[in-house]
Amino acid sequence: MADSYQDFLAAKVLTDSRPVTYRLLSRAVKVNVNIAKQMLYEFYTKQNAKKPRSVHATFLITGRKPDLEHIDGDSNDINGKDGYDSFMISSPFMSSMPEPEESEEPDEPEEAPVLETCISLVPEEELDATKSEYEDITSMHIYSLEPGPIEDLNLLSVCNQDTAKEQAADDPLERWRLYGSIHNPYVKRRTTKATPVPSKTVARPPTKPVAKQAQGAPNVPGKAACARRGSASEDTGSGRSTPQPIPAGGTLKKSDSRSNMKKDKSDIFKSFAKAKPKQKEAAKSKDSTPAPPEDETMQGMSEDEGDGDDTPEVKFDEEKAAEARKARTDREEKLRKMMEEDPDEEMADAPPPDTESQEAAAKSPETDAPVTSQGGRRRGRRKVTKKKTVKDEDGYLVTKQEAVWESFSEDEPEPKKLKPAPKPASSTVKGKKTGKHGQGSIANFFKKT
Amino acid sequence: MDAPDGNLLTGEPFIEPTYVPSRLPSVYNPLHTFELPKGTERHYQQQFADMYFLRLAQLRDAVIRRAEEAWADFKLGDERAQMVDRVLDVRQGQLCWVVGTVYMEMGLKPNVLDDIAKEHWIAAPPARETYMSGTAKDEMMLEDESGRLRVTGESLNQHYVTGCVLAALGTEQADGTFQVIATQHADLPRQPQRYERDDSSLAVAQKPRLKREKAGKLAIVSGLGITGRDDQEIWLDLLSEYLTGEATGNPDQTNAAQISRLIIAGDSMLQSGPILSREEFLAKKSGKKHYGYDAGDYNALPTDRFDTFLTDLLPAIPITLLPGAADPANVALPQQPLHPALFPHSRAYANPPAESTETIEGLDSVTNPWEGDIDGWRVLATGGQTIDDLLKYVDKVNVMDVMESMLRWRSVAPTAPDTLWCYPFQDDDPLLVKDCPHIYIAGNQKRFQKRVIKGPVDQQVLLLAVPKFREKKVIVVVDMESMDVEIVKFRMRRPAKVAKAS
Repeated sequence: MADSYQDFLAAKVLTDSRPVTYRLLSRAVKVNVNIAKQMLYEFYTKQNAKKPRSVHATFLITGRKPDLEHIDGDSNDINGKDGYDSFMISSPFMSSMPEPEESEEPDEPEEAPVLETCISLVPEEELDATKSEYEDITSMHIYSLEPGPIEDLNLLSVCNQDTAKEQAADDPLERWRLYGSIHNPYVKRRTTKATPVPSKTVARPPTKPVAKQAQGAPNVPGKAACARRGSASEDTGSGRSTPQPIPAGGTLKKSDSRSNMKKDKSDIFKSFAKAKPKQKEAAKSKDSTPAPPEDETMQGMSEDEGDGDDTPEVKFDEEKAAEARKARTDREEKLRKMMEEDPDEEMADAPPPDTESQEAAAKSPETDAPVTSQGGRRRGRRKVTKKKTVKDEDGYLVTKQEAVWESFSEDEPEPKKLKPAPKPASSTVKGKKTGKHGQGSIANFFKKT
Repeated sequence: MDAPDGNLLTGEPFIEPTYVPSRLPSVYNPLHTFELPKGTERHYQQQFADMYFLRLAQLRDAVIRRAEEAWADFKLGDERAQMVDRVLDVRQGQLCWVVGTVYMEMGLKPNVLDDIAKEHWIAAPPARETYMSGTAKDEMMLEDESGRLRVTGESLNQHYVTGCVLAALGTEQADGTFQVIATQHADLPRQPQRYERDDSSLAVAQKPRLKREKAGKLAIVSGLGITGRDDQEIWLDLLSEYLTGEATGNPDQTNAAQISRLIIAGDSMLQSGPILSREEFLAKKSGKKHYGYDAGDYNALPTDRFDTFLTDLLPAIPITLLPGAADPANVALPQQPLHPALFPHSRAYANPPAESTETIEGLDSVTNPWEGDIDGWRVLATGGQTIDDLLKYVDKVNVMDVMESMLRWRSVAPTAPDTLWCYPFQDDDPLLVKDCPHIYIAGNQKRFQKRVIKGPVDQQVLLLAVPKFREKKVIVVVDMESMDVEIVKFRMRRPAKVAKAS
């Protein structure tokens, strides 16, 4: 432990030139935060003794301060623009008032002063000046070490993102034991079945993709990547196993895919292709949107999911969430597409099926009636063919598959419109696909379900 | 610097961290006063007029009692003041008093009829900063179910706003206006004893009274204004590190451990409300055409960041979360709890909504306004919209005065439904104050303020205005034993700027 922290700090601060907060250090070396604060100080003094100014520190001072805030705010920029504070000044809130010099809200005359604890984050250059402002300093420690003065202290929050990653595997309720945060003996935590991706990654987009890749890549080196790339072609064929790797990329892609799709038609079809097997799977398990328990079992069957250091349980959830999200974005994409372009450009060869299919895809999640009917249609596809009333707009029945499918669109008068829709959906997918890869795979795709 | 536990500027050998006590328990017993009926039970077809009648009917007796006490012996010349039942029964020249609901006619007050007349408006007009036009257009009226009476008197509009119920003493002038000499309002209602509800439920269950530990402290923060962008990250970090007791040294960590609950009083996110601001609306309009809701507009960053923030805190401290005007909840008062689906991680610390509507330890997502018992004290908290709206009616009035008046009028949101969106209550108006709180919290105010007010029968209420954290970087901490208030400020010095200045 004694050396590991030095190594860690040296690697992070001196080599990588990254800031390290006490919190990050405590998570990295697994020590109490208060020891981590001392470690920072030890490192700070040692390094600067060896080579002056090689490490820069930011301090956190806590204590009582006489209320000089309003003076401070004006005379020097202690607080910067964010911490700028004018406790006593309240700006007039109506510009047309004739007497602007008068304070809008009269101050409380009888208001007794309240006890104030002031917690200041201070770079080392300002340490002495700040200390002199305090009446009484109750505690003081190094908040972070960094290779040189940093202009924007908000950068330090990056460390907390790393911290979150470091402790992701820990049980949050046991955190106090290891790191010394305040123990709350009363808190209860239930295990939700649908715990999604660790929030940190979602919450902070800049770091997320990197983290994800870093986690995903080593464990499933080729697979995730190639599966994703080849998803348009292979997904359909390998139906079940492919969805697993996708999530790893799925979350990754989420942001990009959206923008890409707008430009790139082909991407949409990829997404179609990708969405399809998922839908089927969903249909199989009877729920189009992932209902936790059922889906979980589905997912559980395959063991090749590739995410990093989480517990398996979390992994499933993660994937499921990612998949759900993926499906959602796909759907949104389709919806948007449909809405944006009334006249379908580019798709000159088969415009009506396209819109139709999108409509169908869009509709299916929306209302219950279509969903159920869809579900019924899906599963009972072969069996359901009861009546044959083909009354559709002929424009849609272009491809040959439709003749095959028309047979079921019978049962309800309303769903009629919907029923043909699924076929076109498949047909478009097919059409595209055939263009690319030939039909065999698609046939497989349908047989699978 | 010689306090070894506070000063952590020491190198090896490392001092083993001294013991930091565990978090104190929070005796928490929320009320569900402001919860609206769920699903199909919630209707919006009712007339708002019912609310005014309800309010008048429920407060009338209390106001009459107060007025009788005050004016029973009141004489002007030889004339003794008479009570008149309805405002339209007031006779010219007769000294009398009457109970009614105030209605303020103000030049700049938004008027629903105007809105309908200008139907072609696409975007709402910019929010007014005040409703006072500063001209003779501003009038005050007293109304009940019979009609309205125009009221005049010295600077009445300084003190009253639409919706408060009061008794007015005076005479009707030749021009038909009612010249007011004095007014009376209901004043503070009955205040429950400390631990009253907890004890009575114990009594019902025939269990002995608990011996209660000394209560801890209550921390209140509002207006976190999370955007999910990087601009405010460090402040959130500092706040959560302080509350979890990781930052600072032992003496302050021990202090932080005293805090047994955190109330987040609204506006946790900067702009996530369903109502677009004017700028947003224009920006949206200029874009592509869309039909209906555009899912692409949804920005998950603020809620995700907020979720992370809560997840960091929750293992260490229970939280009561109120929505505010800028949060993704319904806009009409009472705002309903933020949906747990917004918090995929932190909801692990909340009871599933299907099982229970409250979470004693962990994350309790509640309504705005909200009331409940914390450490035995009745706490009434709002996100601050009610006060902001009321301040538009008046000029140069302190927030503390507003809060005090609200309690004395027994109305949490007197200006709803006139200028504040509100659910059309039909049978009962929960926005009336039925039990006097011990602590009344208003979030999202300009600055921190506090005051203690007293009622006619020894009620004592602590009023707290909590500033926006995003602007002031301040949280308020109340000692639940002594009712002492302290604040914790977060500050930072910027190296670059100082270098420039020097």
